[in-house]
Amino acid sequence: MIVESWRRYWFTPATAEHLALVRVIGCGLLFLIYLPLDDRGWTQVSPVFWMPISAFRIFAGPPGNAALIGVLQVLWKISLFTSAIGLVSRCSMATAAALGFFLLGLPNCFGKIHHLDGFPVLLLIILALSRCSDALTVDGALRRNPEVRTEASWQYRWPVRLAQTLFLLVFFAAGYAKLRNGGLAWMTAVNMRSIWLGELYTHTPPTALGGLLAKSTWLSQFAAVATVIVELSALPALFVRRLRVLTLVGLFVMQVFIALMLGVYFTPHLVGYALFLPWERYYRSLWPLSRPPLAPSFPWWSLRTTRRPISNRFSQR
Amino acid sequence: MTWGARQSGGHFAQVIEMESNKNCVGWRLANLAILGFLAVACIDTLTGLEHWPFGSYPMYSLLYSEQRSWLRLYGLTDRGEVLLRGERDFAPFDEARLVMALERLQSADGGKQKLDEALRNLMRLYDRRQARGLPLRALRLYAVRWVLRPGLESFQPPQERILVAQATRDDAEAGR
Repeated sequence: MIVESWRRYWFTPATAEHLALVRVIGCGLLFLIYLPLDDRGWTQVSPVFWMPISAFRIFAGPPGNAALIGVLQVLWKISLFTSAIGLVSRCSMATAAALGFFLLGLPNCFGKIHHLDGFPVLLLIILALSRCSDALTVDGALRRNPEVRTEASWQYRWPVRLAQTLFLLVFFAAGYAKLRNGGLAWMTAVNMRSIWLGELYTHTPPTALGGLLAKSTWLSQFAAVATVIVELSALPALFVRRLRVLTLVGLFVMQVFIALMLGVYFTPHLVGYALFLPWERYYRSLWPLSRPPLAPSFPWWSLRTTRRPISNRFSQR
Repeated sequence: MTWGARQSGGHFAQVIEMESNKNCVGWRLANLAILGFLAVACIDTLTGLEHWPFGSYPMYSLLYSEQRSWLRLYGLTDRGEVLLRGERDFAPFDEARLVMALERLQSADGGKQKLDEALRNLMRLYDRRQARGLPLRALRLYAVRWVLRPGLESFQPPQERILVAQATRDDAEAGR
C-alpha cells in the first residue's frame, strides 16, 4: 500500500514536455532574475568577514580574483540561458547547477544566510539530474527528425514532483521554526507588531504599511496566526490538491506583504510558484497539433540523445 | 489507447511497473535521489541545522520584544555624523547581512580586533563608492535601541546609542 502510494506520487507517467517545460520556464525565469547578479564585490571584502557555510568550508578564505568571478558569473548566466532553450543541454544543466551553487552560495559565507537562493539551487541540481532535455530543445531540433516522439514515462514526473515538494517544505520549515523557537507566543499581536515596527528601522521597506497596520491589534493578531497556519499547511498541501491551491495563493500573498512591509524580496521564489502552473496545458493550447510523445528507450543517465522512432512500446511487450 | 484513457488509475500502476522494470538502475537512482533530498530537508527542518542550499528557514522565528536593538554604522564627515546603510554604502553587503556579520564578530574571540579590522575594510569599501557620498574622516559602529510603538516613523532617531568601535582614516590607510 505504502509502496504503491509512493510510486503513484513520484512516478505517475508524464510526458517529456511536462518536464521540459519546467526546464524552459525555470531556467528562463532564473536567468532573468539573476541577470543583475554581481559577486565580484566579495573579492574586496576582508577575510575577517569570511564565515563559510556548507561546502565552502573547503576554501581557506574568500575568493580574491575578481576577474575569475566575473568569468564564472558570465558562464553561469549563459548556461542558464542555454539550459532554458536546450542548447548543449546536459552540459548546460550541469554547469548551471554547479556554478549556481558556488555563485549563489558565496554571499552567504559573509555573516548571514539569506534563504532566498537555496531553492533555486536545489531546482537546478534536480534538473541537472533529470532527463529534462528530452523534449523542447534546440539540440533536438538540430539533430533529430521532428516527427520522432518519446513516450510518457515515470522519468518525467519525479523531478517536478520533488521540486514542488521541496518548495512547499521550505514554507513548512519556516512555520515549524516559528513554533520551535517562539512557541505559541509567536502568534500574538505584540510579536507581530514588533516585527513590523522593528523592520522600519533595520530595513528599508518600500511602504509604510507595516507602521500603519501595526496600529490595529486585531490585524496584527490575525496576521500572526494566519502566517503560521498558512506556512504549516504547506505539508498537507503536498497531498491534497485543493488545499495546495489555497496554500500557494496564501503563501504568495504573504510574500507580497513581506516585500511591501518588511522590504524582504523573495523574487527567486517566483520560480517555485511557477512549478505549479499547468504549463503543458498552456503549451498544448498554443500548439494544439502537438501530442504526448513516446518515452526514450535508454536509461535516464545515458548520454545518448537520439530517439527510438514512434512506437507503442507497451504493446510490443 | 488515447492519452486521456491512459490516465485511469489502474493503468498508471501497470505503466509504472513496466517502466521501472525496464530501467531498474535508473529507477533505484531516482528513488535514492528523492530519499536523499527529503532526508536532508527533514533533518534540517526538525533540528534547526543549516546545510545550504537546504535549511531550517528560521527567519523571523524568534520572539520579539517591544524594544529593538541593532548595530548601526555612522560616518564622521566634515558636516558631522551621517547614517550609512549596507546596500547603499557598503556593497556588496546588504544591511541585514552586514549587521549580522558585525554582531558575530563582536561576540567572537578577539572581537575587538576583528571589529577594528572589519571597520577598516568597510571604510575602504565605502571609499570605492565615494563619488556618491561625502569623504569619511572616521567610521563609527554604534549599538542602538528603539522602543517600538505604533505611529513611530522609520526616520526617528534611536532612544539609545552606545559607541562599540571606531576606525579613523589613518587606521584605514595603515591597513591598506
